[in-house]
Amino acid sequence: MERIIQGTAPSEVVAQLRKADGYYMTNTARDLSQSDFKNRILLHTDMLAAPSRERAGYFSLEITGGASVHVDILRKQVDPFLKLELLREKMPNTMFQTLCRGVNLFGYRPYPQNVIRFTVREFAKYVDVWRTFDFMNHVPNMQAVFEEVAKAGKINEPCICFSTGPEHTDDFYVKKVKEIIDVTGADIILCIKNHGGLGSPQRIGQLVNAIKQSYSDLPIHYHGHNTDGNDIGRIAAAVINGASIVDASDSSMTGYYGPPPSLTVIQTLKELGYNAVGIDEDAVIETSEVIRDQRQYYAAFESQIKGFQPTVQIHKLPGGAMGSSLEQAAKGGFLDKMPDILHKELPRVQKELGNYWSVTPGSQILWTTAVANVQGGERYGNPSGDLRNLLLGKYGPFPFYQPEEWIYEKVLGADWKKVLEQEGGMDEIEDMDLEQERTTLSEKIGVEPTDQQLVLYLQHPNDAVNFFKFEEKFGKVYVLPPSIFLHQGKFNEGSSLSFTDHFGKEHVIEIGPSMVNEDGESNVYLNVDHHQRIYSFAPEATEGVVVATVLSKEEIQTLAKNGDIRAPFAGNICEISVKEGQEVAAGEQVAMMEAMKMQTPVVSAIAGIITTISVKVGDAIKPGAKIAKVDIDE
Amino acid sequence: MKKKILVANRGEIAIRIMRAIQELDYEAVAVYETPDKDSRHIRLASEAVLLGDGPRCDYLNIEKIIKAAKRTGACAIHPGYGFLAENPDFAKACEKAGIIFIGPTSEVISNLGNKVIARRIMAEAGIPMVPGTSNLSAGEDGVQEALAFAGKYAYPIMLKATCGGGGRGIRLIESDEQMRKEIPVARSEAKAAFNDESVYLEKVVINPKHVEVQIIADKEGTTIHLGTRDCSIQRRNQKLIEIAPSMIGNKELLEEICQTAVKAAKASNYTNAGTVEFLIDKDYKYYFMEINTRVQVEHTVTEMVTGIDIVRTQIKLALGKPLSFSQDDIQLRGHAIEMRLNAEDPQADFMPEGGKTVSVYRSPGGYGVRLDGFVYQGYTIPQVYDSLLVKLTVHGFTWNETVSRLRRCLQNFEISGPKTTIPFYLNIVEDPDFIKGDFNTSFLETHPQLFEYKEEPNEAEKLSKLIAEIHHRGLNPYAL
Repeated sequence: MERIIQGTAPSEVVAQLRKADGYYMTNTARDLSQSDFKNRILLHTDMLAAPSRERAGYFSLEITGGASVHVDILRKQVDPFLKLELLREKMPNTMFQTLCRGVNLFGYRPYPQNVIRFTVREFAKYVDVWRTFDFMNHVPNMQAVFEEVAKAGKINEPCICFSTGPEHTDDFYVKKVKEIIDVTGADIILCIKNHGGLGSPQRIGQLVNAIKQSYSDLPIHYHGHNTDGNDIGRIAAAVINGASIVDASDSSMTGYYGPPPSLTVIQTLKELGYNAVGIDEDAVIETSEVIRDQRQYYAAFESQIKGFQPTVQIHKLPGGAMGSSLEQAAKGGFLDKMPDILHKELPRVQKELGNYWSVTPGSQILWTTAVANVQGGERYGNPSGDLRNLLLGKYGPFPFYQPEEWIYEKVLGADWKKVLEQEGGMDEIEDMDLEQERTTLSEKIGVEPTDQQLVLYLQHPNDAVNFFKFEEKFGKVYVLPPSIFLHQGKFNEGSSLSFTDHFGKEHVIEIGPSMVNEDGESNVYLNVDHHQRIYSFAPEATEGVVVATVLSKEEIQTLAKNGDIRAPFAGNICEISVKEGQEVAAGEQVAMMEAMKMQTPVVSAIAGIITTISVKVGDAIKPGAKIAKVDIDE
Repeated sequence: MKKKILVANRGEIAIRIMRAIQELDYEAVAVYETPDKDSRHIRLASEAVLLGDGPRCDYLNIEKIIKAAKRTGACAIHPGYGFLAENPDFAKACEKAGIIFIGPTSEVISNLGNKVIARRIMAEAGIPMVPGTSNLSAGEDGVQEALAFAGKYAYPIMLKATCGGGGRGIRLIESDEQMRKEIPVARSEAKAAFNDESVYLEKVVINPKHVEVQIIADKEGTTIHLGTRDCSIQRRNQKLIEIAPSMIGNKELLEEICQTAVKAAKASNYTNAGTVEFLIDKDYKYYFMEINTRVQVEHTVTEMVTGIDIVRTQIKLALGKPLSFSQDDIQLRGHAIEMRLNAEDPQADFMPEGGKTVSVYRSPGGYGVRLDGFVYQGYTIPQVYDSLLVKLTVHGFTWNETVSRLRRCLQNFEISGPKTTIPFYLNIVEDPDFIKGDFNTSFLETHPQLFEYKEEPNEAEKLSKLIAEIHHRGLNPYAL
């Protein structure tokens, strides 16, 4: 059997999966990065891995989606679209996969329908396999994504989110599968999304079997996490019972909460008589060797707590949230309360809130509620807005049962029934005026944005603008290896750093001395391609010290647009060209300034009437000094 | 004890003058205002006197400078250009205090500084001039005189402040109506700026070439010229690029202009070094404009093509020595071009970049290259003075060689911190008209493409900025 090549039509892909002799494997690099490295694995590392990952013959590479789109622009300073474009050049045959949160896309709250469709359309230009889920398993929340993916000719991989407990029966899940297929049709891949790595191998085997009993032709993609150290057991059970695709990643980078090592999966299943279709084991091994050396530079982003967490079966936190939860506990100084939170409060809250699936954004609601309940004293005494929305049914109906009335009362107040009646249920989110948003963005960044820029902006308005400005200032920084981009501490003086820039030019940067001048400003000397450059950094702001502010060029220009004409530089007034009460046109000269021998006219930025002239000929004035005021002509 | 000469100026010209003083084996005395405390001209001097906190007013304070000269025992003062250089009161104060003023006499400065008197002297000597009036009479009479002049010579006409100069106090008049309106405005402004409300008119020469002649005269009456300079490339009457000699092909015409300059200098009893400025119209008719009674910024180009050290000569003449060379000794060899590298943003209307620190300063060198500057790496440009960083003067045997050398030097310059005029000049040296030597005062207006350049830092510099920040903070704040 052959691997499936990128570009194959979805119906062909599904057909090939149906008749596969063995199983396929997805490299969930994105989930590895998110679960075990706080999403920080850089494009640089993925580019190093690309050639051997391409040869390894994976069904797909999950390299975008989840929280990664946001972290790409927020912490990795890389354009999520450019990332896919560059990887595609190096990996022409491998299908790219994303994880999409349905109406919540790659964020935490529902987006308007037109934003969802626009976003999916843009990403679908690069993404072949769309793994889509909803934390309430509420199928209508995924419908817009299904439709756009199908329109784009890409593969829909809807998920049933999996959890454990008395309500989580085979019967329930098989009905969910029916609900999905009723919407999407049969040419899909179904994902069992076991984001927590919950249940025993036997439980997963049973579930796969139950679905296969009803839908023998439906290819099943099992997704798990290795939080308890036993995902390979579950993977094996899934394959034995008929799953077509399983998830794993490169062994040299695997940790505790993400995917298990792919080679171990391959070896285990081989002994059981199952062949990994299209997989080149040597290339799988080679990938791990190529990137092994990079791991040291990500040390700061690995989990604070080492070791597997079999107690995940109790607290059910998804692998993708383990790292961030532990980080929050460490930073918040309540690491010692973690056993209480994880093993007592969190399971209790889960039960109280309907035992839905602990995955984004539902897992965040459970987690913050549990933390608040332990830290805040009174349980549910300080509910978050998201918990309120959950109870109001804004995310969708509770799948099994509703929380008890006392919780509604705590969260929504004494007249909770009235509130629920008036505000309850899912909102119709109005479409956004995309052209208006485009105009706003173009004003913010000073150029006409591309569709891709607009997509990023619609997802995360502030962070996207900051990212665009970052790139303008610092260039395309994805070219920097983690040894530079994530460097901790100062570089050694005299050391030289080399890299190839986005345009293919090689550069050598030598670290020179740093000096602090008398104003506390630090000057860093670098030799950039053998040319000395000095970069200055203002001293860290000290509280209580008032720094005299001089108006910046931009501030002076802004004032000018309001008719407040200021001196653009220091000099003498050598001519005043207007009188008070006189009308001026925009661009008309108001005064002439001279700095030694150079004369520069000062013009009014707007049309209006001169109301005040604050200088006289011969005055020596400082930058920012008032010259004249213009009242806008009405 | 060595004799001392005080330099009543700052920046590059102060250093230029001090070099000549030191070569003559005198001691140089610098003066400075507080904002100039880090200026290099102080460090090159044997001693320096703080005049006060300024800005500018102390460099312009005659009393303080005379006092500084007396206190340090300086026997002479060189005023440089700008500040007090063409102030007859300063020359007079020196004369009164028994200090040698390096320049012409106060009387000559006074006569030539008054445009109407200067025109009268030149008219009497038969120097060709742009048609013009004497001082306009006060009130309606003056307006009538003006309208009559306009009727005879037609618009456009220049309305000039009699005591203006260096491109200041000039307005272009295009109609009778405008003339009526502008005369009183010009008067009140001239009163405020030059403390003299006199104004007069001159016919406008449209898009002329600006050609000037360096003259030198000793006290015994020997007056010679050092050839021509073309200063046509200007921005709002302020010169940007100067070339020696003029590129006009007609050598007889240039010789005639030089002889006219000598005649003009003699007519005004000129001593020491000076510059006679002419306008040349499209038919190669030339007109006297004015005589500058100081060393010019652009004197370097003349030095390069003649081999004469003008500032050294100025000092020797002022100390009473006769000229040690004759007109026949003056041979022009090759071409020289000077560019004023200013800390300005040409794309923002030449907005000065004062207040910025020069973080990198690397200058070119080699054959035929001369730099007259005063900035250094780490120097913060004061906001209160002019924005000249360094004058780049290149010399070559042929015009072509000179332009190539200029281009090479501009490319070799590395200045970080303030924006500079370098990228703009790089466009000029690539301009076909400039390369042909074909330009007049309209050059900048007719070549707007010169302002089209991108000053983006390259990708390596951008990335290095991030590396510098990671190094400085000990972590990447954009990856936290």
